[in-house]
Amino acid sequence: MPLSDPITPGRIDWTGENPGILLKGPDGGFSAMSLFFRVSWSPVGAGQLLLLYGDLNDADGGISAPNLLMGDNDRLAGFLMQEFIGRLAAFRDAPPFAQLEFRLARSIRSSGDPMGGRYTETVSGDGLAVELVWEDLEPPKALELVPEQTGTKRHVMFTVLVPAKRAKIMVNGRRLPGEVGTRVQAGMETTTAFLYFSETWIIPDAGQ
Amino acid sequence: MNRTSINPGSVEWCGENSCICLKQGKRDSALALLYRVVLSPHGRGCGCIVLGAPDDGAGWPQAPNLLLADNQPLMRWVVDGWVSRMQQFRNLAGFGHMTWLDLDSSVRIPGAGGLRHAETLRGPGVEVELNWWNLGMPVPVEAGREHSGTGRHEMYSVFVEAGKASVLINGTELSGSVANRKMFGRTMKSAFLALSQTWVALPSGEV
Repeated sequence: MPLSDPITPGRIDWTGENPGILLKGPDGGFSAMSLFFRVSWSPVGAGQLLLLYGDLNDADGGISAPNLLMGDNDRLAGFLMQEFIGRLAAFRDAPPFAQLEFRLARSIRSSGDPMGGRYTETVSGDGLAVELVWEDLEPPKALELVPEQTGTKRHVMFTVLVPAKRAKIMVNGRRLPGEVGTRVQAGMETTTAFLYFSETWIIPDAGQ
Repeated sequence: MNRTSINPGSVEWCGENSCICLKQGKRDSALALLYRVVLSPHGRGCGCIVLGAPDDGAGWPQAPNLLLADNQPLMRWVVDGWVSRMQQFRNLAGFGHMTWLDLDSSVRIPGAGGLRHAETLRGPGVEVELNWWNLGMPVPVEAGREHSGTGRHEMYSVFVEAGKASVLINGTELSGSVANRKMFGRTMKSAFLALSQTWVALPSGEV
């Protein structure tokens, strides 16, 4: 719920959408991870970006399970890798992180309805078509998180979460192995497949 | 800092709600609202309201008062629930008589380096061009119901003020200039981008 002053103190790092799918294998560990960014404002402009770890055990990945960074703004990709993704331990500490090279996307599009049954993001280019599919969607929830509740540990973050009970990552029409699991966010049990809309990351003023 | 991490209210819609209000003297000479909704009970959609003759009780093509939308039920819901509650709009003759048209296409040119953000929307026989120039730094807003405008919502958004703006219909620029106005307890420009906007209806008993 809002504080008494309607202007939030701090500096906006970026704002936009940030859905993701983290699939788990039979051993409970992650088997594939993806984040998608649709940024409407950042210090390096707007743009869209897909991060995919198709094979967490191989730094390079392969054609059927690639590790890739594909989007429409290379400066935004660099900014997010350094200032955001690189601060998320689960992504930064994975073997593919250091090997990622930006690839330019040929097309990026979303479809479906986040308050309906299904939503997708599809990114293609360089001979690859990656489709992220979220299904069995729960009602949206507005979240306001303080730094200790965020993955970066340094931002105040506003977002709208739409959890998905089922999801899949398709690469050139083939489904990557793994299933949606559970996680805890701000004390609430939720799933490892999520849509995030109206997401704003704010670096608080010193002393806050 | 005292926050509730999971808002107990229900999310009504998310998206963008950018605005251009041009003034001639103290009078609003032209108003434009752009909606790009990514989550709502009526699906997703894009639409704009342009009142080029706010005091004229006529719609397009007799007067430059029109609404373009690619999801008319969504836009009807937004107009009834939000725009018609805005003091700036609800008593204007042009708002009551604007012509509703289908949106055929929209093109967005996001601001780069703070110079310009542009949106072009096309419908049957009409093209609307919205331009925001001299963009400022983004300002995060979290407004309680006393500041949100509807009196029944909390609203979260990122505002990017514009020092200069223009509205064109079929290439003809509407008259007026960006001015200052009071919003959220501070002086802000009358033209701004409103990004990552979320409207949360308060739980019953809290309104």
